Amino acid sequence: MERHAFPAMGTRIEAFLEAPPGLDAVLGLASVEREFRRLEGLLTRFDRASELSRLNAAGAIEAGDDLLAVVEVALAARERTGGRFDPTVHDALVAAGYDRTFELLVGGSATAAPPRTAGGVRIRGRRIELDPGVRLDLGGIGKGYAVDRAVALLAPLGPCLVNAGGDLAVAGVPEEGVWPVAVEAPSGPLTLGLDRGALATSGSDRRRWRAGDAVHHHLIDPTTGRPSDSDLLRVTVTAPAAVEAEVLAKALFLAGEHAAVAEADELGVPALLVTCDGRVLRAGGLA
Amino acid sequence: MTNHVARLYAVALALVVLFLTWAVVAARPWAATAAEKDPRIVALERREAQLRRKSVRVERQVKRRFAAYEVRLRKRKRAIAAIQAANASTAASAPVVSAAPSATAPSVGVVSLPPITSTSSS
Repeated sequence: MERHAFPAMGTRIEAFLEAPPGLDAVLGLASVEREFRRLEGLLTRFDRASELSRLNAAGAIEAGDDLLAVVEVALAARERTGGRFDPTVHDALVAAGYDRTFELLVGGSATAAPPRTAGGVRIRGRRIELDPGVRLDLGGIGKGYAVDRAVALLAPLGPCLVNAGGDLAVAGVPEEGVWPVAVEAPSGPLTLGLDRGALATSGSDRRRWRAGDAVHHHLIDPTTGRPSDSDLLRVTVTAPAAVEAEVLAKALFLAGEHAAVAEADELGVPALLVTCDGRVLRAGGLA
Repeated sequence: MTNHVARLYAVALALVVLFLTWAVVAARPWAATAAEKDPRIVALERREAQLRRKSVRVERQVKRRFAAYEVRLRKRKRAIAAIQAANASTAASAPVVSAAPSATAPSVGVVSLPPITSTSSS
């Protein structure tokens, strides 16, 4: 198994390829890193020169293929989840103190007034237009998109897995028959065997910071514009693609324990939920 | 008169012999002969000659190997360019992620295999 790890998009990326060692494998894994860096350069909100930052600053631009695709997916996800997934939470994240890359976030100040969410975003051809004052954050879904692209790049070379922190996707069947992936649980890690598709974890246990007297996290509830007070600590779900898994994980997290279990069962989405009081729940037919 | 001339010649000859002897003694030919025969100098000179020959051989070998390496490097660069072009076309033709939810969810279950990687909250 060939492996390549590197930091990108504020997390550690790992790519695994089941192929004989050689030039093809090395270049294939290098192309994964190049793709992540390219997409990070387009989709980050922390770089003023990124395409996303230019859109947020100007309010409207003629977008490239990738930004257009991610915004389309994000808007479709907002529609599908009834607004629980919302790419217009940029200002809410900044207001909560998440105004720079997480590595540089040592403490900030949260503003008192909740900023607006559910802002208007329109796509006309290749042109993306934002309502005045609306800005996009594509952090999580951009990472899922990059994972899907990276897996598509590696798949022709052999069975592969790409893991970007909480978002991972696989292609092809490894020797063991499934891809064993450890998921954190209060009683110790559980190992899930994934045969295809993707898996994503969203939770409030990471990317936390102190702003004033309060501890904030990055999962904004669009209905309040503030970090969610869900009774779930962490949600792991599987889906055919990493972007879908990312959206579902966030939506189930914000739904809260009972609604999330019901929704996962109804959709038939295998999910592992960890509650704030330390219980582990399986839903959606997770064996 | 004849004796005076003979004496003058004898004195002149004696002076010539004296100066010649002085010159020979001043040149110290025995010292040069001794240095040439010092075995340490001889060994050093032999070693220096050996090293010169060896360095010429090594230089020739390095040039030969470097030429072969340059040929291999050109081949490998062509191979890398071909693979990168193939990767780029794969990336360009990689399916754009669909905005619609997909119907076929992966099957997943708890297994007892050692994990290859781990997932944490993103």
